[in-house]
Amino acid sequence: MIEVSGITKRFAGRHGEVQALQGVDLTVRDNEFLTVLGPSGCGKTTLLRIIAGLERADAGQVLIDGRVIRSPGPERAMVFQGFALLPWATILSNVAFGLEVRGVPRREREAKARELIVFVGLSGFEDMLPHELSGGMQQRVGLARALAVEPQVLLMDEPFSALDEQTRRLLQEELLGIWEKTRTTVIFITHSMEEAVLLGDRVVLMSARPGRIAEIVDVPLERPRSVSVDSIETSREFAEITNHLWRSLRTMQEPVMPE
Amino acid sequence: MRPRVPVPGFRVRLAFWPTLLTVVVTAGLWELAARLANVSFIPPLGDILGRLWELTVQGQILDDLAQSLTNLAIGFGISVVLGTAIGVAMGLSKKVEAALDIYVYALLTTPTLIFAPVFFAIWGLGSGSIIALIVLYAILYIVINTAAAMDSAPTQLLEMARSFDAPRRTVFWRIRLPAAMPLVMAGYRVAVARAVRGMINGEMFIAATGLGALVIQAGARFDATTVLAILILIIVIAYLAIEIVGFLDRRLTAWLPSNERVGGF
Repeated sequence: MIEVSGITKRFAGRHGEVQALQGVDLTVRDNEFLTVLGPSGCGKTTLLRIIAGLERADAGQVLIDGRVIRSPGPERAMVFQGFALLPWATILSNVAFGLEVRGVPRREREAKARELIVFVGLSGFEDMLPHELSGGMQQRVGLARALAVEPQVLLMDEPFSALDEQTRRLLQEELLGIWEKTRTTVIFITHSMEEAVLLGDRVVLMSARPGRIAEIVDVPLERPRSVSVDSIETSREFAEITNHLWRSLRTMQEPVMPE
Repeated sequence: MRPRVPVPGFRVRLAFWPTLLTVVVTAGLWELAARLANVSFIPPLGDILGRLWELTVQGQILDDLAQSLTNLAIGFGISVVLGTAIGVAMGLSKKVEAALDIYVYALLTTPTLIFAPVFFAIWGLGSGSIIALIVLYAILYIVINTAAAMDSAPTQLLEMARSFDAPRRTVFWRIRLPAAMPLVMAGYRVAVARAVRGMINGEMFIAATGLGALVIQAGARFDATTVLAILILIIVIAYLAIEIVGFLDRRLTAWLPSNERVGGF
């Protein structure tokens, strides 16, 4: 279980301090798929980075199974928006990177990496370099690399937002399929309402300036969802939840005209 | 299985045909100008190449050439090892950079030959002085490029490594160093050309040995044909040395998408 309490973060901007996060409290249950949705500038990525241990909060704390988090740790693995693959390393070596860092012997880590390459549907691409793969395939590598270290929590920072629409849809389906098998706890940042609802058990809606949690919406859509993505997206329940989110998001929009 | 990434070699250079064209045109113009002018200090290209052939066949040039190339290899080798180590240290540590910066730029602005008498005093009239001069000619470009290259690693990759709690050692070997390779190799390519220059200057101004000695002797006889024959040989050596380094570069950075290759020689 992840307990986030009283997280506050300020950044020094050109026009004084920016309140990125203010008093954020959040509990993430074990084996939960939690999506975090919000307009740009709401601090959702900052929140994820603090949970990842890549950034320190100015106040508040993050507990994982009761232990305070101050830095990255083996129970968490991250998937990045820009994939963050080593361009000089083969797909195999990229997937094995997390294991290599942990000192797993070559034979063992490569066996594990091959397993995951098959798991994310990239068999045959082991010896290729990242730039020879499409964006969607590159992000599968990013996902396989994170899964290879068998994390307790998967932290995903807008992982599909750099992809085109069709690829994104396919990867959403695949991520659902993978999650249904592994049931790893996931915190998934997105700016897409449909994505948030389709994937999540709960959607955390954040508002900007200051960044805080506006609302947490339950998504009671049936699982497994990976086999019936199309019918889910046309269902009434799905429409109701996204409509609700949209109404909430709309009220957060800043006025376009000067006041 | 898919085809392997092609490893670019000597042949895969788009610039090959334009290079050949300019060489042929220059050679033709030279030959023509020399025949028309008919003065002793511009010998026709044909005569020069003939002289180069004679010198080679007679074996007169071979010992000198071997000696020059040995000095070049040792000098460039020392520059690579030492220059890379210093560059890495400067690139990774602000303190080391602050400590050494001033010397690097001082040496960079000083005419390198000023140090010739110093080397002469230390190592005498032998290969030692020449090698030291080669190192001084070449090493700065390696140091500067390597130091700058240490910042090449994209922030995103460093963050990724941090998210896995990677130790500094791993971050260096798996991220900082490979990311630095294109710029480091660009430094080697400039440095190898400088090393050839250092070699010739050393042979001409410190110890009259190797090819430099031949140039001086021929110059004293006003033998322009021999001087230019050796000049051509030196250009060929420099070109081959750069090609060898360039070949290694293309092997080591084969992962670079072709449009991101660092330009230069």
